[in-house]
Amino acid sequence: MDIKGSVAIITGSGNGIGEAVAKYFVRNGAKVVIVDMVQKNIDRVVKDIKDMGGEVIGVQANVSSEAETAKFIKAAIDAFGQINIVVSSAGIIRDGMMLNLDKETGKVSRKMGLDKWQPVIDVNLTGTFLTIRDGAEAMVNGGWPGLLVAISSVNKVGQVGQLNYSSAKVADALLPKIVIGEFLMRGIRNIRCVGIAPGYTATPMLTGMNQDALKSILADVHLNRLVEPDEVARLIGHCVENEAINATTLEITGGLCYPNGIAK
Amino acid sequence: MKSFTYNDMEFSVEKAQDRWDISCKKADGKAALVAAGLFAGLAEGEAEAKAKALVRTMLPVGVRSVGPDVAHPALIGDMKLVGPDVTHPNFIYWDKDSSSFPR
Repeated sequence: MDIKGSVAIITGSGNGIGEAVAKYFVRNGAKVVIVDMVQKNIDRVVKDIKDMGGEVIGVQANVSSEAETAKFIKAAIDAFGQINIVVSSAGIIRDGMMLNLDKETGKVSRKMGLDKWQPVIDVNLTGTFLTIRDGAEAMVNGGWPGLLVAISSVNKVGQVGQLNYSSAKVADALLPKIVIGEFLMRGIRNIRCVGIAPGYTATPMLTGMNQDALKSILADVHLNRLVEPDEVARLIGHCVENEAINATTLEITGGLCYPNGIAK
Repeated sequence: MKSFTYNDMEFSVEKAQDRWDISCKKADGKAALVAAGLFAGLAEGEAEAKAKALVRTMLPVGVRSVGPDVAHPALIGDMKLVGPDVTHPNFIYWDKDSSSFPR
């Protein structure tokens, strides 16, 4: 499938990986729908893309709401007449241990509440499900060939302090296999689905963190630097163009290893 | 350039080469781009109509209504049930039920 002439919806494209993916698609001739929760980020990216000479609309939406996903799907069709690529990049973190113990008594002093669990599941898993589901519905009903992309994470292996995030991301990593299995059963042969699992990526969240902590993270990365958002975007672009990539989740980590040298 | 007001917001549809940009004036008076490079080759009137439809989709106003059933014979006491004004220009009528929670 060609990127040029395609219509792409990218959730969470107000910054980070999603923004890089949107701009990569525009540079390669696609029309894009910017979806984000933060209006000022949408405004900035839409203006950037206009300055690049691209075709773009910006839609503020919460991906965990059925009405909102329906809204940006319909907006994409109203504006561009079709949908070919859907990248579910919206994601949040609310890190914390499941249990915290009191140092003196050894008893549980605090536990992860639903205030940290539920939003992460809602955005990272339910949001991905709704985005992929409604994107696929539009593609099937419109007869448009397409690619569905779920953004997982290398932390799908099970990151301490991210029970909520890792649980969602391991489900996101599995999603392409189930979706494509169902498409095969239903005779849907012109829509593919892949997952992308980035490692530590140079998004504002990481580049702005404590530099000593960042150095400690990089010690486990064979490449000895963060993955650039544009490198993730190029991998997704390759997935669009290489139709043999399907029903799988690809990692792009720069060689992230456990401290004892075993690659994650 | 064409302008229209929707849900107390001012929108303008402006030609950029052979395409159309849609801008919105924010509450602080600053303009922000809503969309760029759309409706290639369309005349101003058609572009304006499409822009209005797109803005209604992107910024829906109103509620998804599954009731009240004002024709139901059993009223609740003296309470008068008043249905939503579906003819209001800003009302978006959601005529499709959720597939997850069908009636």
